[in-house]
Formats: sequence, structure tokens, C-alpha cells
Amino acid sequence: MSKNNSMSKALVRRETIAGYAFMLPSLIFFLGFVIYPMVQCVFTSFFDATMNREDIFVGFANYIELFQDKVFLGALKNTVIIVVVSVPVTCIFSLWVSSVIYDLAGPACSAFRCIFYLPVVTGSVAVAVVWKWMFNNYYGIFNYIGTNTGLIEKNINWLGDERFALGCIILILLTTSVGQPIVLYVSALNNVDQSLVEAAEVDGATKFQCFWKIKWPQIMPTTLYILVITTINSFQCFALIQLLTSGGPNHSTDTIMYYIYYNAFKLYRYGYGNAMGVVLAIIIAVLSAVQFKMAESK
Amino acid sequence: MKKRKFMALALSCVMVCSLAACGSKDTGTSQPAPEPAPAPAPAEKTDDGAESDSSADSQTPTDTAADASQAADITLWTYPVGNWGDSETVNSMISNFNAVYPDIHVTVEYLDYTNGDDQINTAIEGKQAPDLVLEGPERLVANWGAKGLMVDLGDLWTDEAKSLIYDSVQSACKSNDGVFYEYPLCMTAHTMAVNRDIFEAAGALQYLDETTGTWTTENFQKAVQAVYDYGQQNVGAVYCSGQGGDQGTRALINNLYGGTFTNAEHTEYTANSEENIKALELLKSMDGINFDASIAGGDEVNMFCNGTFAMAFCWNATQEKNNADQGNINFDVLPMAFPTESGEPQLCGGIWGFGIFDNGDPAKIAAAKTFIDFMANDEKQAVESVKASNFWPVKDLGNIYDGDALMSEYAKFIPYMGDYYQVVGGWAEARTAWWNMLQQVGSGTDVKTAVEEFVTTANAAASAQ
Amino acid sequence: MYMKQNQFNRAACYKMISVIIIAILAFAFAFPLYWIIIGSFKTSAAINATTPQWWPQEWVLDNYRKLFSRQVAELWEINIPFTGISLKGPEVPAAIRWLLNTVFMSVAAMLLTCATSAMAGYALAKKRFIGRTLVFSLIVCAMALPKQVILIPLLREMASLELYNTIWAVIFPIVGWPFGVFLMKQFSEGIPGEMMEAAKIDGANEWKTFYTIALPLIKPGIGALAIFTFINSWNDYFMQLIMLTSTKNLTISLGIAKLQAENATDFGLIMAGASLAAIPIIVIFLIFQKYFTKGITMGAVKG
Repeated sequence: MSKNNSMSKALVRRETIAGYAFMLPSLIFFLGFVIYPMVQCVFTSFFDATMNREDIFVGFANYIELFQDKVFLGALKNTVIIVVVSVPVTCIFSLWVSSVIYDLAGPACSAFRCIFYLPVVTGSVAVAVVWKWMFNNYYGIFNYIGTNTGLIEKNINWLGDERFALGCIILILLTTSVGQPIVLYVSALNNVDQSLVEAAEVDGATKFQCFWKIKWPQIMPTTLYILVITTINSFQCFALIQLLTSGGPNHSTDTIMYYIYYNAFKLYRYGYGNAMGVVLAIIIAVLSAVQFKMAESK
Repeated sequence: MKKRKFMALALSCVMVCSLAACGSKDTGTSQPAPEPAPAPAPAEKTDDGAESDSSADSQTPTDTAADASQAADITLWTYPVGNWGDSETVNSMISNFNAVYPDIHVTVEYLDYTNGDDQINTAIEGKQAPDLVLEGPERLVANWGAKGLMVDLGDLWTDEAKSLIYDSVQSACKSNDGVFYEYPLCMTAHTMAVNRDIFEAAGALQYLDETTGTWTTENFQKAVQAVYDYGQQNVGAVYCSGQGGDQGTRALINNLYGGTFTNAEHTEYTANSEENIKALELLKSMDGINFDASIAGGDEVNMFCNGTFAMAFCWNATQEKNNADQGNINFDVLPMAFPTESGEPQLCGGIWGFGIFDNGDPAKIAAAKTFIDFMANDEKQAVESVKASNFWPVKDLGNIYDGDALMSEYAKFIPYMGDYYQVVGGWAEARTAWWNMLQQVGSGTDVKTAVEEFVTTANAAASAQ
Repeated sequence: MYMKQNQFNRAACYKMISVIIIAILAFAFAFPLYWIIIGSFKTSAAINATTPQWWPQEWVLDNYRKLFSRQVAELWEINIPFTGISLKGPEVPAAIRWLLNTVFMSVAAMLLTCATSAMAGYALAKKRFIGRTLVFSLIVCAMALPKQVILIPLLREMASLELYNTIWAVIFPIVGWPFGVFLMKQFSEGIPGEMMEAAKIDGANEWKTFYTIALPLIKPGIGALAIFTFINSWNDYFMQLIMLTSTKNLTISLGIAKLQAENATDFGLIMAGASLAAIPIIVIFLIFQKYFTKGITMGAVKG
């Protein structure tokens, strides 16, 4: 780092020009299609904006209304539930699966890995439509299996019942989100320093102790990474909601993501929708800042 | 070196591709190239001696049509209004149009009732709204018209047109301050239907009057109970996953005890009246009727046709015709009016016609008006246009369904057509609130609380306009 | 010794039971895909049967026939700027055009993302320029941002750029999403400074240093990013829903979503569409499976 001090002004200038030249193509897209809309989003959130009318400045009115809007608060709650349930479950489930399959014979391991990854590549729309069929009240296989095995007394309208709809959405979300963590964990577990494990085993450690004391710390960075990507994924769950329940029944599956869309294109309240976007962005920014801090401290 | 080549290749790939996609934004599915006009425009109207009025009211736009400057590309977006949602039928009608007006190219997009509104709303915001849209006053007049997005169609509404088109339709096509945003084509009365085979087997036919197609609220209850006892678990469903087909649920609830949806002036929502609350409570308590938040009107129709339900609340002549044509129905369908206490059902009407989005291009607007005029007023085409919808004309075109047993059967419901309240303010918001309200009732919220909330939301939207 | 034996048995037992459970779960995970494909070949009676047919008694192509006869579109359309000339392909079922649109979109997004991210990531890692920390923090903050947050301003922006209802309105936001830059930066950190110094001494300019020294070293990273971007764009739905309207401009996901809006309970037809959307990408996945898992892992290790 002593070099930095001796870096001449000319060199700094050269580095800056070169740096921005390399950054330029990417910056155009990043600033143009992410940052600029974000700034616009913050700006319009202070206006009452709707279709085909000049925007009216309303100050913080949208934000004040937001925190009195029962549906928004419900959507916020649902979003939190989805994240709080799906993130740990995804992590634990994929860790368990990986810990079982990682030392199986090569083909078996990769076959399992591949199958668990299938729902990810199938695509959210195809996944949503097939689950909609499987959950169908009248011809769905869930009701068929449930009633025939006696697990449920009569047909349940899975997606049309307030009590089950959100659970169903989370279940589908889980199937589409464990694929990547499993791939990651399998390779992380394979990379664990074998000599340490062997040493511990010689010392009489149980498999369980081995896992927690030796392997777990070593796969910690992977876990953190998985936490980050799963959180992002869970927040972005939109297609499932839009295609399966439209936020219903009785707003039980509304998420902020869907509610923004709903406000924009069903109620034409652009300013209000933007205010929601801002609130959500703040929540996510805080969350990811925390996660990055955690990752850095490790 | 190899890498450089690859990069260059990749880049040029992107370049070429960008050329490819650059232009592909403007239009929808293209129509086959129009054949050259076999005859000048006026020749098409040789046989209009019988009704000089209609030729007169189509005169104005036709004159301008002869002008070469009328060449324009216009887009038409249709909702599935009968076969106006079917590309084959629409293409053939457009080639009729192009035979007379070869310079106007019409491209068509087909919308559905689930996402169609969202699609138009995004398109408006994306500055790519269609030129022409085929729908009813609730969207053209009360929604987009009220928001100032539509063109005033006053010049299509000549005095002749006003004298020909039925008064009820006419008043529905104009806004509260008297501007016409829709030029109507066809109309119908939405009914319900029962599966006659199941009703017969369950001994429930005694509760309804097959000739008039009416029944009383009390008999409706008995019939549903009989069908349920017969073993049909799902007799009917108050579907509420979205707004599709909500005219059925509205009509059902309003008719049962004679409630109304809005006041007579169409300024305020009255769904919280005692009659409506009583109706909702009745439906909630009935065996065999479920509030199903996982289906909408279109699903209900399909499930009625495949025998899952014994009754459909989202029904009309077109539903039966289309489903019968596609071989989806293998039982006897009995169309019925909604049950009432008084014996005088107030059916929910549908009026469909054209509206023009103001895209700021006078040439396109003129071309769109010519299109409307041709489709709705041309002697021969008007009949075909109406028949394509499988609904009834909005003016006297003679008996266009002569010899059509199905349409004759449904014609008996036209006199029951009730108030066309859909032009009330805040309609789009109210529709959304309506299915949310039904979902609430379905999941056990107290009926009174739910309808009060609905009315508050809807009236707030109405007064905001 | 006995203890050890016992422990060993218990571990083996646990392992065996776990493998069995996981095998059952794997079956459940594969089932929806099986159900999509099987469903697309069933008759409508079999589809709506309350007792599901686990294996169709009768295989029919009706659903595909229906899917392909619904709407037509030109296979391609190339407009040459400033000339008004437009080259149109033959008319094909719209679903085929949707597939082509999707391929084009995914490939274009992939190429653009890889090209821009590789350069930007390299600069962020290796160039000590003014404002670098600021740019990097912006990127990190924006990475987790769901696209839905900015949907309204983005729609208005695309409208004023006249990109609304073109495939570019979908591609550009994907390219703008800074995950790729972040990933490439992590990869580029590993480029040894000495190699770059050496190149500089040899008289190589900035660009030459980048493509002769840096590029070969970060190639595996680019591969990982390419796969990521391809799959993500293929399966992206939200942007397409907002930005595309014309039948001929739809992507396959959006086309299927529209199909299901129009015929919500015609599951056979919808499954035919879903098969068409899922099978190509699954085939690609199976072919490149090895690179895939490698790419994902590398992304995480470096990230």
C-alpha cells in the first residue's frame, strides 16, 4: 500500500479515466434503468399521481396514509411471514439434504442435485400453473390424495381459503428455492478440510460433533451467501401471487410486491404505489446492509 | 486473437439482433394484406332504399374516407365479446372492411377479462394505448372516458343514429355531462343457467318455470337444497377470485330480495341495503353454494359445462353457443333469470361497442371512426358484426336470428333487462372492492361489516372522480 | 469398541433413512414437471377426472393442436432503420414466435450483461479511480432491490424512450441489474497485480491489458454469469408482464400466463404451453449441467 502514497496526480487521473471508461457501458444501464427510476420513484412518492392528469404535490400524505392502510400493513405482514418462514426453512432443509447426499457416489449425488434444481429451471410461470392445477378444489391431486388417505375429511379449497392460501404459496416458493442452496452446500461440504475431520474422529468425536465443531464453521460463508440470495428471492415472489391468488382470498396472500402492482394498475394510484416501493426499498436496504456486515465480520 | 474474434462476433450479433427487434414494437398481429377494393365505397350501399336513415348517418365519415389521406394504420383491441374474441371471425370482418377501405390497416389484439384491464392500463401509461377498443360503457365511458382518455364520438351520433338506437343504450353510452364515448354495437341480458339433467334427476324442476325462465327466491332455495340432497355437493359457486364475470354475482345478490347496486341517479352505491345483506346472508347459509375465492366467472362457466356445478351465474346466449359449438356441453342447459321474490327479475345488461383512445393523431382517429361506422352502420356488415357477437343489436335490424332456436330461446330474457348502473363513478375501483367483499364474506367476516366497507370504498372512489 | 460399533450403526441407519426420505422428496420435486408433461397429452376428460390418471390411458395431441392453432404471428420481423423496409418471416403459430422472442431476449441479455459486467467488474477491482467506493456501495445497495419497486417510473421511462412494448424494455433492466458487476468484481480481485504490471512494462495499453491478461483469468466467472443471466432472463416474468403487450412481442412465460388467464380451467391446454416453456430450458440445463453447478458454486465462493 506504500505505492498508493507515491501515486502521482497524473497516475490518479489516468486510473480514473481508464476506470470510468471500463465502467461506462455498465454504468449507462445501471444509472439509466435502476438508479434513475429509483430517484423518480422517491420523487413521485410525494405526489398524488394518476392516469392522464398532472401530478399534485401532497408532501408526506402518501406515507401517512400508508401506515394507516390496513391492507398495506397486512401485505407487509405477509411479506415478512414469507421471508421469515422460507429463509430458515430453505437453509435448514438444503443443509440437511446436502449433508446426506454430498458423500454419496458421484452419479447419485449429482442426480439428486439435478432433481432438486429442476423446479428452479422450470420457470415460475410453468411452476405456478401446474401447482394451480394440483391445488385445484375440484380436480386437484392434493384433494384426491388427502381424501383417499383420510388426511382430510373433505375437499379443501387450498388457494381459495384464507387459512391455507399463504401456506400453499410458501410451499411452492420453497420447492423453487432449495435447488441453488443444495448445489452450494454440496460443494462446500466437499471442500471441507478432510484432515481436520479425520483428526477429530481419531479423538473420538461423534459424527454430530464433527459436523458442528469442524464442518459448520467452514461452511459458514456459504450459509451467509445462501441467506442473502434466499432473502432476495423471497422478497421477489410475485408471479406465484399474481397467477395463483391475486392477493386473495381476503388479502391473505397480498405481498407488498403485489400490492404495488395492484395499486398501480387496478387503482391507478402511482404516487401511492411509489411510496410503498420506497418503504420496501428501505427495509431491504437495511436488511442487506446487516447481512453484508455479518458477512464482512466473518 | 481467438477471443477478440469471439467478442467481435458477439458484439455484431447484438448489433444485428438490435436491428431485428428495433421495429417490432408498433403493431399487433398483422392482418393479411387487403385485397384491392372491388368497388368504390358508395357502391356497397346500393340496397339501402329500405332504410334511408342508415345511409344518411354513415354518409359523413364515408365522404372523408374517399380521401387518400385517410390511409392509416390503426389498432383494435377487443375483449372476448362473443366471436369478436376469435381471430378467424374478426379477420373475415376486417377483410370486408378492407374491401371498401383498402388504405386503412387494422391490426387486432385479443384481450381477456382477467388481465385485459391491466394490459390496457399499462399500455396507456406506456403511451401505446390502442386506437380502437371494443367493450362496454363501464370501461369506455365510466372509466377511460371519465379520465379524459377517449375521443368524443358526437359526430358518429347523428340525429338519425340517436333516433334509431334504443334510449336506454343511448344514455349508457354518454358520460354524466353528455359526451358520447361509445358507439354501441350489441347488447344482451346476462342470465344464469341450470343443468336441466341434474335438476330433473333431483326432482328440482318443479321449483322453476321453464317457459318464462323465472323462479322465486323461495323456490330457488328449495331447488338448490333438492339438488344438494340428491348428491351434487357443488350446486353453484359465488366465484370471487377476481372481477371476471362479476355481473353474475351482482345480479344474483341484487335480485334475491330486490336490492339495488346503486341509486337511481347512478351517483352512489347502495349495496349495503338490507335486501342485499339479507341476500348475502342467505347465500352464505345455503348448502351447496360456496363462496369460492379460487375461481372467477370464466372458470365457473367451464366447470358448469363439465358438470362440476349444477348452476352457472355467469351465463348468456354466447356462453351456451360457444361451449356447445366446441362440444363442451353434454347435457341440457336451461337458461334462467335470477330468482326474485317479486317475480320481476332485473337482469344485468351488457352493452358492447367501440370507443376511440385519443392518441393525438387526427388521421388515426378519422380512420377509427370510419371503421366504427362501417362495422355498426353498414347495412350488411352491421348484421354480421352483431351476429359475430352472438348478442342482440342495439337498434331494430329486423329479426337477424330468424330460425335460430337458441337465440330465440334467450330472446325472452331481453324484456327483463334492468337498470344499466355500470356507468356509476369509480366503477373500476368498485369492481375490485366487490370481489374483495365477497372474499371477506366467504371467509367468515360479518356480512354487514363487509358490505359497509365495500360501500365506503366504492363511494369514496365515486366522489373522487 | 462396542460403543463405537453401535455409534457406527446408528450413523449408518440415520444415513439410510435419510437417503430414503430424500429419494421420496426428490420424487415429489420432480412430480410437477412430470405432471406438466403428462397433462399436456391427456384428453380433457382425463384432465378433469376427479380420480387422476397417473399415466394417461389415451395419449392425444389435441392440446398442442389447440395451442398452435390459437394465434399466428410472423416468425421474425426485421425493420431496417430509416428505410421503412421491414422483412417479415412466414406466419407461424404465435407460440413459436414467443419461443424465438424468449431465446433472443435471453441471449441478448446474456451477451450484454457479460460484456458490460466483465469490464466494469475489472475496473472496480483493479483501477483505483476517484468515486470507486461510492459506485461500489451504490451497486451493493441496489443489488437486493426487487424490480417491482421501480415498476411505475420504469414504465414511464420506457414509454418516453419509445421502448415500451419492445423486447428491449425487458432486456435493459436485466442488464442494468448490478449483480453481474458485483460478481465480476469478486472474480477480478484474483488477477495478480504482477501480471498486469508486466503487461504494462511490455507497453500494453489499458484495453490490451484487460483482454490479454484479465479476460482469460476471469473467463470461468463470465461463464457462470452467462448461465445465470440466461436462466434468469428466460424465467423472468414481472418485467415482461409490465413491458410487453402485442401478441407477437410476448415471451413464452407471458404467453402461458395469458393463456391461463383466458382459459383458467383448460388445464390440458395450459400444460401444453407450460411444456413448451419448460422443456427447452430444461434440456439446456441438462446439457450444461456440469458448468451450471460449477458456475453457481464459483459465484458463491467468490461472492
